[in-house]
Amino acid sequence: MPVGKRRSSLIRSPQFSSLVILIVLLAVFAIADRNFLSPLNISNMMAFLPELGIIALGMTLLLTAGEFDLSVGAVFGLAPVLVMLLVQNGNWDIGVALLAGLLLCIAIGAINGLIVTKIGISSFLVTLSMLLVVRGAALYITQGFPLKSWDQPGFFVTLLAGSFNVGSFRFYTSLWWFIGLSVFAIYILRYAKLGNWISAIGSNRNAAVARGVPADAVKIWLFIATSVLAGLAGMISAFRISAASPVAGTGYELEVIAMVVVGGTALTGGRGTILGTIVGALMLRAIRNGIVLIGVPGLAYNIFVGLIILAMLILHALLQKNAARS
Amino acid sequence: MDVLRLQNLQKSFGSVRALKNASLTLREGEVVALLGDNGAGKSTLIKAISGVFPIDRGEIFVRGEKVSIRSTRDAMDLGIETIHQDTSLAPDLSIARNLFLGREPVNFGWLGVFAPLDLAKLRKAASELLKRVGISKKLDADALVSTLSGGERQSIAISRAMQFAAKVIILDEPTNNLGVEETHGVLRFVKEVRDAGHSVLLITHNIHHVFQVADRIIVMRRGEIVAEQTVADTDLLTVESIITGADMSALLKEARAK
Repeated sequence: MPVGKRRSSLIRSPQFSSLVILIVLLAVFAIADRNFLSPLNISNMMAFLPELGIIALGMTLLLTAGEFDLSVGAVFGLAPVLVMLLVQNGNWDIGVALLAGLLLCIAIGAINGLIVTKIGISSFLVTLSMLLVVRGAALYITQGFPLKSWDQPGFFVTLLAGSFNVGSFRFYTSLWWFIGLSVFAIYILRYAKLGNWISAIGSNRNAAVARGVPADAVKIWLFIATSVLAGLAGMISAFRISAASPVAGTGYELEVIAMVVVGGTALTGGRGTILGTIVGALMLRAIRNGIVLIGVPGLAYNIFVGLIILAMLILHALLQKNAARS
Repeated sequence: MDVLRLQNLQKSFGSVRALKNASLTLREGEVVALLGDNGAGKSTLIKAISGVFPIDRGEIFVRGEKVSIRSTRDAMDLGIETIHQDTSLAPDLSIARNLFLGREPVNFGWLGVFAPLDLAKLRKAASELLKRVGISKKLDADALVSTLSGGERQSIAISRAMQFAAKVIILDEPTNNLGVEETHGVLRFVKEVRDAGHSVLLITHNIHHVFQVADRIIVMRRGEIVAEQTVADTDLLTVESIITGADMSALLKEARAK
């Protein structure tokens, strides 16, 4: 491919337009309020970013394969609740309790995947039901109350939610998890055999199956991976604030899907971009943070978040149309 | 040499007997057209050969050896490549990635599905293939399939079947939804495929196309093979009447005489 052609296809790519908008947004917020780029505020954004961003990585792969998962927010809530209950009330060792949490996430993902692929019900309906089951379970086992605060430093807490200072910035180890998992996801989707299969399944499942690609198995594993990532994000969050609540993660499923599609991944499958998702995660985090800083009333801020997401999607649709015409 | 021989294949779906005692042979380097009305059993027959579902009874021989085909992978490994109408390619993937879908060249193969694609080899093999089949001038191996025309997509799908040295290439309605010029392009391509030594089983509704490319014609009706003729020995009207069953008695006699 000649350099010029490659450059123009890069500029037309959805993740590039998202990146431009992100930079514009950051500039606007920075000019409107100089606290936006203060070390404290950046540290705050970076503390929240990985928690939704990690789920978004799994969701990107799942969406690229043509499915999605609405139960991630509920899993984000249930996994830490279960782990903390086992530790606080059952006196389990934290490591064993974490293993139980991991198995729970694997089971939820596997059930989602098996019902979607083997019984053939749309992932929207299956994971919507699973959202209710999982959230209901979290509320029931806690009787609706947040658990006692749990603040015992140890290996796992440091591993998932330890913090360190760089100059006047304070970062959490969750940022490393996000970076590491992002690199792995980019590798999978763009360079590995599995990524070729994921894109092909989402693009034309019958064609992939006709070539011997095990479409059902790939989807089931992607549901499991997404569930496990949601549970991991939930644990990171719970360790960071030293508490687990049965309502944690409410509404995260839509926020995560918004991050993914704003980044340029197609909701209909076949076209996925991890870089776009990272940009999308940064963008939603910055919007949520920035519009509060510049003085938009708290109750009004979902209006802005919704409008910005809508504008992004219109932009992607127009670019897509343009590309198809040329 | 018989490349593919089917003997008394039977397949039922519930009480519907989609395939009753279908037998046929496909020889090396010939194009055989499989004709029949909707519901005649053509799709069932090719799905059975390409491993979409197993047959109930009957035998399949590839180059004289009895085989059992239980999955699409089995069929591919036996050198039977099927190109389904409109569903053969993933539009969001590049030509190169489509050509090797399911058989990707990788480095560090022990990593299984996590193994990195050998992108250099992928691109090189794709360009060579496009060159060999004579469509490299127009197409870049990195182009997305969604940017191609229907005829180009068919050519890519057929090239993919050829590249794995397929003994048998099954084309299911390859000229559906194509313009006149593109249709001729694909038919010309089918002849080239045959001249390269592959055997082609061509399923189509269009009798005119059959007379342009096929060596033999096989007609199915209600799950049975009712006629088998070389193109040189028949004409358009005769074949048309066999398909619709206009003259049953003459046809049965003909079939028995074979």
